[in-house]
Amino acid sequence: MVSLPERIILFMLVAAGPFLLIVVPIGAFLAMSFFRMENQQIVHDLSLANYAAFFSSWTYVKTLLLTLWLCAEVTLIGLLIGYPIAYFIWRRSGRIRTILLLLFVLPLFMSYIVKIFTMRSILGLNGFLNQILVAVGILSEPSQVFLYNQNAILFTMAVIFLPFVILPIYLSLERIPRSLVQASADLGADIGTTFWHVILPLSAPGTIAGALFAFVLALGDFITPQMVGGANGFTFGRVIWSQFGLAYNWPFGAALGTVLLAVALLAIVLGGLAAQRQKV
Amino acid sequence: MGLSLDAVSKSYGAQQVLAPTTLQVADGEFMTILGPSGSGKTTILRLVGGFTRPTSGRIGFGDADITGMPAHQRPFNTVFQDYALFPHMTVAANIGYGLMVRRQTKPAIAAKVGQTAEIVGLGGLLDRFPSQLSGGQKQRVALARAIVCEPKLILLDEPLAALDAELRRQMQFFLKSLQRQIATTFLFVTHDQEEAITMSDRIVVMSAGRIEQVGTPKDIYYAPRTQFVAGFFGDNNLIPGHVTGNGMVTTALGTMPIPAETDRRERDVMLAIRPEKVLLGAAGSGSHQVSCRIDDVTFIGAITQLRLRPAAAPDQVLTVKLTSDRTRLGLESGTVVSASLAPGDIALVEVS
Ligand SMILES: Nc1ncnc2c1ncn2[C@@H]1O[C@H](COP(=O)(O)OP(=O)(O)OP(=O)(O)O)[C@@H](O)[C@H]1O
Ligand SMILES: [Mg+2]
Repeated sequence: MVSLPERIILFMLVAAGPFLLIVVPIGAFLAMSFFRMENQQIVHDLSLANYAAFFSSWTYVKTLLLTLWLCAEVTLIGLLIGYPIAYFIWRRSGRIRTILLLLFVLPLFMSYIVKIFTMRSILGLNGFLNQILVAVGILSEPSQVFLYNQNAILFTMAVIFLPFVILPIYLSLERIPRSLVQASADLGADIGTTFWHVILPLSAPGTIAGALFAFVLALGDFITPQMVGGANGFTFGRVIWSQFGLAYNWPFGAALGTVLLAVALLAIVLGGLAAQRQKV
Repeated sequence: MGLSLDAVSKSYGAQQVLAPTTLQVADGEFMTILGPSGSGKTTILRLVGGFTRPTSGRIGFGDADITGMPAHQRPFNTVFQDYALFPHMTVAANIGYGLMVRRQTKPAIAAKVGQTAEIVGLGGLLDRFPSQLSGGQKQRVALARAIVCEPKLILLDEPLAALDAELRRQMQFFLKSLQRQIATTFLFVTHDQEEAITMSDRIVVMSAGRIEQVGTPKDIYYAPRTQFVAGFFGDNNLIPGHVTGNGMVTTALGTMPIPAETDRRERDVMLAIRPEKVLLGAAGSGSHQVSCRIDDVTFIGAITQLRLRPAAAPDQVLTVKLTSDRTRLGLESGTVVSASLAPGDIALVEVS
């Protein structure tokens, strides 16, 4: 047996990692959001001024709302494309299933930047998409509309985050015993009825997890908007980044970051509650 | 009429797991498929249920050929070995699933579900989820879910395997009386010979993907036709012998007459004698007497089991079961007794 003091020490050692790596940075960040800038110096006075500035500026609030809307769209597109893919993979068997799964999840191991550049080269003026559309005759000449706007951000994020949507959905499908699907058929349900009453509800936790991944990842992403959004594609992530990187107003940036963190946490809590209601 | 398998076989790739099998199950019959693990019991059930397609052959039900009919259109319901209850649905929703799928009205479903729950003894648990039920209760939900749609045939894949001995006996009794009550054909899978004998109208004994014997429990118990069946039913005494053509069979225990109405061709056979059919002491007329020494005596409660070594063949062991009150006659190990085998109690088993 391990004695109590030993256990406390053990616990502290184990807890030290998460504490140092997660709690301390977030705490520092939170503290920063209550400071203020004066003559390019951070003044350590505690106040809610940064938050007040955010909530009283329609531009900032509007950017946040538009970003939330964008993230919701990314999530929806991710689910609409990701669920059928996960379902399709699940219905295969043996080697084909493994290969398909690997194929769709492999992008997770690729560099994020590489993926964005790939998307850029697909959507760009001389890109793959334009070449095809011109070759097929749908367009008479390459078009600029695919890149450097809000839709380009939406499309790129949806594609890049797709593996994060597919994987949890697939895993929750994988956990459904085949005998449940057979039992449903046995009781007279065709595949559509079985899907609606058995497969969809039982894969809901994974679907919610996939949706959360897409939503939260899109929420915090400032690189994709920067790279494919051009001057029009402005998101909240980009605003925060500019506070740190361009305006050098770290306290205000930290306050905006805290707002973003709160929104992300709220999404996670709501998703968690929804998932919990599904599973008894 | 009823269910018929006509030369139905199943292969996975090059491996044949079910040899061409022909079988009839009459309407209202309690038919049990019995066999060791991997003998193809579940395979037959899955073929009948429509969860796999036969590699060859035809499956018929009534006048219809249902070989290619998808599972959800077959008028059969299955009680799965792992119950396969829907974890996200209450007991009521589980039981009513088949009715809901058939688009019955909510009040009709509720009434039928309540009624069926009463039959299987689940009243009061309708709002629980499967995770809140005991094994025996889950079992009953699976059963209720299968009978609620009034199928023509119920398929049960080792439904009692996971229950403890006492509950198992209760459920055996219950299943049998339920089957009589709803007058539905049961196709029941088990690897427990006692269960098969107590519950079935007829038993199909399977081994290695083929049928060894089909018959009533008594047929199978007292007149096993193959060595496998004779061996599978527990403690049969198996004695090699040779039929000599004049109605006699020679064995290491001596020469004795073969049972009436058996094939008299000269050949090697195996004699199967049930332990409770070996008599000790005074013999009836026409019985074959074997002098034996008692090797050991085991008291098993109502029954006492003796192991005898015939003087003429010390390598052969004869197992005998007596009601325990009869062993007060001073049967102890070491005693020499006379065992008698009546021709009518001997089954000749063909050796292949
Ligand atoms: N999908 C499959 N692919 C390949 N072989 C299979 C498949 N399903 C079953 N088999 C094989 O078929 C044989 C019979 O299996 P089956 O499930 O019918 O046995 P069983 O009699 O039900 O055994 P148990 O008592 O263990 O349930 C086994 O050897 C098994 O390995
Ligand atoms: Mg089986």
